[in-house]
Amino acid sequence: MRPLLVLLALSFAGTAANVWLLSGVVPWFLLPDVSFLVIVYAGLFLSGPLGFVAALPPALFREVTILGPPGSFFLASLAVYFAASEIGRRLFLRSEIFILLIVAGLLAAESASVTLLLVLEGGQSVSALWGAEEAVRIAWTALLGVFLFVDLSSRWQRIQE
Amino acid sequence: MVKAFFQKWWRLFLVAALLVAAIQFFVRPPGFSPDHGMGEIGTSVFRPVYKAVDFLRRGISSVWSGYIGLVNVSRDNAELRKDLAALQEKLKESRDAVLENQRLEELLRFSKTLEKRTIGARIVGHDVSPWFQGVFIDAGSGMGVEPGMAVLIPGGAVGRVHRTFSGLSEVILLTDSRFAADVIVERTRVRAIAEGMGGDLCRLKYVSPTQDVVPGDRVLFSGFDGSMPKGTLLGTVASVDRPREGLFLIIRVVSAVNLLSVEEVLVVLSRPAIPFRQGKP
Repeated sequence: MRPLLVLLALSFAGTAANVWLLSGVVPWFLLPDVSFLVIVYAGLFLSGPLGFVAALPPALFREVTILGPPGSFFLASLAVYFAASEIGRRLFLRSEIFILLIVAGLLAAESASVTLLLVLEGGQSVSALWGAEEAVRIAWTALLGVFLFVDLSSRWQRIQE
Repeated sequence: MVKAFFQKWWRLFLVAALLVAAIQFFVRPPGFSPDHGMGEIGTSVFRPVYKAVDFLRRGISSVWSGYIGLVNVSRDNAELRKDLAALQEKLKESRDAVLENQRLEELLRFSKTLEKRTIGARIVGHDVSPWFQGVFIDAGSGMGVEPGMAVLIPGGAVGRVHRTFSGLSEVILLTDSRFAADVIVERTRVRAIAEGMGGDLCRLKYVSPTQDVVPGDRVLFSGFDGSMPKGTLLGTVASVDRPREGLFLIIRVVSAVNLLSVEEVLVVLSRPAIPFRQGKP
């Protein structure tokens, strides 16, 4: 139960902080996607129904705070959870670099998919500056993910021991 | 064999199915909103955050200058500095109040010229993703706000209501790639479709190379599609490119409104003439 509550608090606080900071203080590309990190963490490290339940609130938070077409980001977030879960089962996470690559890879895959859809729709114009900013966001979120995941994992392990 | 294969890889099948559904919702949003109940719960969870953002944004500067900034002041001139800070803060507050009053007066005057029922709202949050451009306003379905309604300020258009909840609405900005509306070039009356293209830019579509459009031309909403009030300013033409191949000019328009600095807006409370479909105007 404790991991669930901690992850819920983390995803809410992170998303709320993003909403707060985006209201005119910090540029969007310096804001880590905390809800995304919580979903990936639940997929990688929490097994069974607990992981799925832990991933539901941040998926809803993303749906609410991202003004995409209704339902799309909730479903995409669940897809990220199951993808992370599959990766967690197939890969033995030996070091921090694995976590970094997994988080960055999932973020990049989501970003590329959404951007591609928008470009195919004929709306989004992708500039080099936007690409650089998005790369900063992905790198920064992935980096934070490593510290967060390592810290949380070691804490859970200590609690279990 | 098939069962074993499925048992081994069911998560990946689920990922694929969820992605297909997400893409389907993305490119062809259903007439109904599948997450409306969840969205209502979600926004009610975040509504205090949006309100707190608005409240704290106003209060934090006074807290900072009134208390934290005075921690290291020497004792000798503490009283004087305190008085001075208090006076300056009062002056700043009154300046802020005067500016806010001016903005609200301007909004009120503008709403009277519109000849349409409007409602004032405050921007309380921004979209947190890099892909969409939108804001949250503190007026929702309880105040008569509906999807598709126009959102503007005296300086020009801001966007269009996307989804509504009780006490909160999402507004997609006119620079969002999902925004599209019928516009007219003020000087030459050339008609076009304006579409958001990110940043502070929109593009004008379907303008023939024989038409007269030059940088600096003002672009207004025509009102023909019934989505935005006629005569509302969209922006100014920033560039006109004539492609060697292709049927239409490539025209970029800079939004008249600095969308990041807007604090208060007006929502035009008239239903859009063309039925609005959520997620895809």
